[in-house]
Amino acid sequence: MNVRKIVTHVEEIRAEGGRPVSPAARVAVVAAVIDNPWAGQGFVEDLGPGIDATASDLGALLAPEVLEALGAPVEAYGKAAIVGLDGEVEHGSALIHTLKFGDHFRKAANATTLLPAVEKRGAVGTVFDIPLKHITDATIRSHHQTVEVRISDAPHPREIVIALAAASQGRPQQRLADLSTER
Amino acid sequence: MQETATDSPAERIALRKLVTYRDVVVTEAGARPALPARRASVAAVVRNPWIGTEPCTDLSEEQGRVAPVLAELLTDRLIAALGGADRIEAFGKAAIVGTAGEIEHAGALIHTPFFGNLVREFLQGESIICFADARAEAGEDLVVPLWHKNHAATRSHYQTISARVPDAPRADEIVVIAAASTGPRPHPRIGDRTTDLAVTKENLEEVLS
Repeated sequence: MNVRKIVTHVEEIRAEGGRPVSPAARVAVVAAVIDNPWAGQGFVEDLGPGIDATASDLGALLAPEVLEALGAPVEAYGKAAIVGLDGEVEHGSALIHTLKFGDHFRKAANATTLLPAVEKRGAVGTVFDIPLKHITDATIRSHHQTVEVRISDAPHPREIVIALAAASQGRPQQRLADLSTER
Repeated sequence: MQETATDSPAERIALRKLVTYRDVVVTEAGARPALPARRASVAAVVRNPWIGTEPCTDLSEEQGRVAPVLAELLTDRLIAALGGADRIEAFGKAAIVGTAGEIEHAGALIHTPFFGNLVREFLQGESIICFADARAEAGEDLVVPLWHKNHAATRSHYQTISARVPDAPRADEIVVIAAASTGPRPHPRIGDRTTDLAVTKENLEEVLS
């Protein structure tokens, strides 16, 4: 796996809707810009060897970094794969939709749910939104949220951006009734 | 909202959010940099304290109240993101004012000693700080220039980092940015003033004709 750069994006929201948010709501994203393992190979039928060679290493690289960037216990999380224009969305999905990738983050965060994801193909500098959900119960409505990210010089056509996102809380000023109240 | 004695500095300057962006180049053009650098920008979103004022308004009082708090908040996070003020070699600053404000309002928060001197002091630098500014819609990606914090003419350290807050500035807000790097560009190789030949119009006649 060739990594070109590691990007960290941290938001601290101190006020929302005109009211203070205390403690500050924190959301962190760490992204690795890597060479697409299948670049230049035409249509590869079996993605298994590329997944085995890359996905676990990526998860092990990103999970501790995003926990450190958040600097607080994780309550919600998500992931992203943004494929450069010469690749297939399937290449990005291959690297993140495997337990070999996600289990590093799940274990480190004491989480149990599947990671919600965005996967798309885009040009250098494309904007992407990572969805986050609660780490032990994906139906907890207060924790449904997204974080918007842009890396100004990635992904190149033969690269993939792989990211993990973590939030220390639900939405700032969350005040929707629980799902159970509608049942 | 009425101010109280318990208001934090952040609340007193109507701070909405802070966004820290850091990148670490592992490889560039397929090769590892000899001196790997971390670069970071930190952006603070504050309410524009001069919304609704006339273009003849004296800006000095609010400058002295808002800019020092920003200098401290931003440099705190820059230092944490880059591993210490002593690790920082290059710096820069920027501001994006929302559409209901003037470029002069952006400049007011970054171009006076209330911001610049404090950023220099917190980051342990001596150079004048290079800058960018813009009036723009939320989500503008601003390219922030950096140069060496002690020797501004150090060519290896001329570099930029982009800063962007997806939902700011609103029309009545200002985004204020401080940025820094722990080293040079990934593969600097364009010499410097000590290696430059004397370049004038006369001795380049062959190239220019």
